[in-house]
Amino acid sequence: MSKESSNDLVVKSAPHITGTMTKTRLMLYTFVALLIITVVTAVLWWPVTTPTEGQIAAFKLTNVWALPLGLIVLINAGIAVGISVGIDAALHKVTADSELNTMSAAVFGLIVTLSYSLGVPAMTTGSDVLPVASLSAPGAFFYVAVISLIGLVLFKKLAGLAGRKYVNPAATAKLIVLLPFIASIFLAKEHFASYTEGGLSLPLLAGPLGWGTAPNFLAIGNNGLASFATYLAGSYANPAVTTPVATPDNISSLLILTKFHGWTGGASSLAVIIVGIGLFVVARKYIKWRITLAYFLSIAVMSMIMSTVYADQDLLLRLLFEVFIGSSIFLGFFMATDPATTPFTGIGQIIFGVGLGVLTVVIQTYMNFFGGSLLALIIMNLTVPLIDRVGIHKPFGR
Amino acid sequence: MTQKIVEHKDIARKTPIEIFPDPKIAIVLTYQHTGAQNAPIVSVGDTVAIGQKIADSKERISAPVHSPISGKVVKIGDIYNSCYEECSEAIYIENDGKKTKDKTLQPIAESELKNTANDVLLKRIREAGIIGMGGAGFPTHVKLSLPPDKPIKNLLVNASEGEPYDTADERLLIEKTANLLRGVRVICKILGNPQVTVATKVNKVEAIAKLNEVFGKEPNTKVVAKHLTYQQGDASLLQKAILGYETPPTKRSYEMGTIVQNVATINAIANAVFEGEPLISRVTTLNGEVAEPKNLLVKIGTPVSSILSHYQVSTTDLRQVVIGGVMMGHTIPTIEAPVTKRTSSIIVFSKSKYTPIKPTTACIHCSSCISSCPVSLHPILIYNAIMKGDLEKAQKLYLKDCIACGTCSYVCPSGIPLSGTICASRH
Repeated sequence: MSKESSNDLVVKSAPHITGTMTKTRLMLYTFVALLIITVVTAVLWWPVTTPTEGQIAAFKLTNVWALPLGLIVLINAGIAVGISVGIDAALHKVTADSELNTMSAAVFGLIVTLSYSLGVPAMTTGSDVLPVASLSAPGAFFYVAVISLIGLVLFKKLAGLAGRKYVNPAATAKLIVLLPFIASIFLAKEHFASYTEGGLSLPLLAGPLGWGTAPNFLAIGNNGLASFATYLAGSYANPAVTTPVATPDNISSLLILTKFHGWTGGASSLAVIIVGIGLFVVARKYIKWRITLAYFLSIAVMSMIMSTVYADQDLLLRLLFEVFIGSSIFLGFFMATDPATTPFTGIGQIIFGVGLGVLTVVIQTYMNFFGGSLLALIIMNLTVPLIDRVGIHKPFGR
Repeated sequence: MTQKIVEHKDIARKTPIEIFPDPKIAIVLTYQHTGAQNAPIVSVGDTVAIGQKIADSKERISAPVHSPISGKVVKIGDIYNSCYEECSEAIYIENDGKKTKDKTLQPIAESELKNTANDVLLKRIREAGIIGMGGAGFPTHVKLSLPPDKPIKNLLVNASEGEPYDTADERLLIEKTANLLRGVRVICKILGNPQVTVATKVNKVEAIAKLNEVFGKEPNTKVVAKHLTYQQGDASLLQKAILGYETPPTKRSYEMGTIVQNVATINAIANAVFEGEPLISRVTTLNGEVAEPKNLLVKIGTPVSSILSHYQVSTTDLRQVVIGGVMMGHTIPTIEAPVTKRTSSIIVFSKSKYTPIKPTTACIHCSSCISSCPVSLHPILIYNAIMKGDLEKAQKLYLKDCIACGTCSYVCPSGIPLSGTICASRH
């Protein structure tokens, strides 16, 4: 829109000054926020080595390295960021059409890292259960590399060239790459197929949740002996230093402060909340905070509805789980707000957030798919063109 | 949620108005207002006096122009017109230094104001060539000639001056406060004594003190200082901020019972009525990448080049010269372009201090243009429709409601020329 006139004065359309926010700066802020979360997770997870020596022996694992979990996080980050930035640069070099987006690629790398699940649950004692290979080194390195590669090439670059990114690249790549393991990774029932303490097989959210004192609340999914609270403690406790204890204090502390299993980025819900809100403040007006707010509010409301429907012993158990599970807390702050795959309008963003929250709870409850927010996000991403049509607001004075 | 824009006014707002010397050659554009074009009523070789009418039109929506100096008409030819971003007809007058004055417009005594018929006042405003000096350029006498069935309840004095760098109005508020009160009285007489609200920004501290001092005792008058954003300087948004109602874009403010007048225009009205002086000079701010910002009382028709050379602004280092505000104003391709009635400021940017920070890249859908649009439009969607050639869709997204404030382009992290594209496609 600008041209040099005969005596070299620049002639262009107004405005003639510009704000300081650029795409690169916005991505840099996001990168720093994600890096803080990566480092916090690495520090929290450094003392833990999973699978433990005991688990390695029990599972007769041959291709698993006993590395500190925190180190695995840092290596994952290095692999994902390295591959993303490297491919972005390489594509830019070979194809003229591909914009060089180093910062954006680096952010993508960290999103892949932080949305990747690590850590063998403390209570796992069986021999033929979890895909331990993907949850620990070196298997995790391989999957993180493949997710980065597919996500960047297919869902960032190719989709970008086609005109619009319809789905969140990191979420879609993760789902596709890990699809062969869907039963063992995502479906909670398999987590506990041989959880010997109670011999339970179906940890369903579509049932009353409780602490395990009254007969009805003993069951996870109505058919076992362990309670939902025991399940939470067993999933998220530090396998190296504690025996899972299902007390209210312990459950809250695990879900809010530190979990040792699940999404890397969700290790500390508190860290995600502080860093996430910090990013909203620093890059205000550039981050779609309405989605996050609407998402968590609708998750909370849906949890309460489910609690009522299934007559939970303790509403808080379900609420804590649905809000603070790693896939919920990290995705709500850092993936659901991805600008490219979310609605333009404020009303649209609220619709998107509510839809995401409702779908997440429904998927987790009825599909028995823990980490259901990932699938919910992809579904909601696909509705964005539609939401953008209904979200148009009237201008001033009309 | 409107965007805050950095003001760059600290030094300029403290710099008193300086009288700029008359130009050796004045280049007076015949067409500076919004409405029907004027034609010259003088010929090459004619001698003209200060304040003599030199171009006019018989159409209702028009305002004449006058000679700012005394001398001889040496040429009638085209020059770049910053009001319209194209070349148009101008009358070149060579200064004879005699300062002979045209006496067509006689001063009206302040004590005579209440006995002067509205028709006389409106005719005076027209004959003095007064137009909206805040940027719109609409002839003021037309704006003030209202149908009798539309009574005016409010006169809103727009003293917000939100454009970054611009401080010309603010200096008028400080230095010509009493004259502004006289101008307000003229408008009140014409409008039938509406409630007067002088709306300004809290950070114009010195101006607020002067306004309270001078306007404080005036009946039916209040001074309101608010935290106004740059965008709230728009007449509709100012009415919303100060008077609390939204004017539909399909209606003019008088239909809502309000007239909004800019400070510089009110000053010109006072000069025309009480001094018999047509609109031949105005206060303009020289700011940007200059050694010292200035507020200049400059003759209309003074070439920008004279002002720049007078203050030793290096022309070889010039990168960009913006007339009428960095957010909404126009760049000029040549510094020979003259000052017009609408030149509220001349903002200079140099090559040596230029740092390109925002190349245009693909939209990242951050939607900050949408959330920061002060009139709740969807700039990126309108832009996309225009780029696809789908003007019908752009219209449906209320393309025409854009107030051209430039906020969307300002905030865009991808450097997309949203505002420029939208404004260009409205014509």
